[in-house]
Amino acid sequence: MQHNNASMRGVCAPHLLSKNTPAALNNNTITLREVHDTPPGDFAIWFFIFAELLAFGIFFVAYAFARARNVELFNQSQQHLNIAAGAINTLVLITSSYFVVRAVAAIKQNFSRECARWIAAAIGMGGIFLAIKLFELYAKFSAGISLSTNTFYMFYLSLSIFHFMHVILGMVILTAIMLKARSGGYSAKSHTGVETGASYWHMVDMLWIILFPLVYVIH
Amino acid sequence: MEITHKPHFIRQCTLVWLTLMSLTVTTYAIGEANLGGWAIMLTVLGTAVIKVQMVSSYFMGLRRTRRLWRGIVMGWLLLVAGLITIAYLSTIK
Repeated sequence: MQHNNASMRGVCAPHLLSKNTPAALNNNTITLREVHDTPPGDFAIWFFIFAELLAFGIFFVAYAFARARNVELFNQSQQHLNIAAGAINTLVLITSSYFVVRAVAAIKQNFSRECARWIAAAIGMGGIFLAIKLFELYAKFSAGISLSTNTFYMFYLSLSIFHFMHVILGMVILTAIMLKARSGGYSAKSHTGVETGASYWHMVDMLWIILFPLVYVIH
Repeated sequence: MEITHKPHFIRQCTLVWLTLMSLTVTTYAIGEANLGGWAIMLTVLGTAVIKVQMVSSYFMGLRRTRRLWRGIVMGWLLLVAGLITIAYLSTIK
């Protein structure tokens, strides 16, 4: 098992393990320092990911400049947000991302059932995120707040719902991957689908990591 | 064997996960304390930038891909964070 220690040194991303054929493991350091031409997963998903980053990026910047024109309104409205709910949801999504990393690592080692279990755990965390977010949105709608209440709430609700939809899509993708993994559809040599879903899910996590401090904390 | 199920790279990812969790708790504490001002804004936004970079580099695995892919994500991140900073600092008199 020496190769596991030596060859994986300094490497966190599990997709790099795909190059660890037995032959490669005997010459381990060179293999793992290799630079990959394309990002992990199906290349097509990366066009989608970059488009999503662009869309959310414009949304985030628009929020910041809208705030610059209505500082008092934004500061006052932010006081009514549930920061704890936002923070817990950040912890939940980060943890789900970590579970997905473990799922990819498992399939690289040919552990299909372990891969499916980690993905199921990530989906479970996604469900917790949705439940907390629904609770938060329900509280706002119950208080009579809507998109037309003011500019801040227009951004808060739009960003929340837009991101919410991405979490749902991510969970659908992860569910499909989990079912295929459970039935032995992936292996150490063929696991592009797992990496594709993982990349999308990490993007959903990354977007929330910016959204939370931007909308809930910074004022 | 233990080493098969918990190789070095998993330990590294676990460390990244714990760091991300700690940074989130720090951001939450700042939010609960209702702290404001440009220094706090830069600290919180800077923390978010570091967290996104950690997710893209370690969880997504972009740190071992061509510079182009890392550059696109890094460029997007710095552009968005930079414009947000300009918008916020423009309101400070």
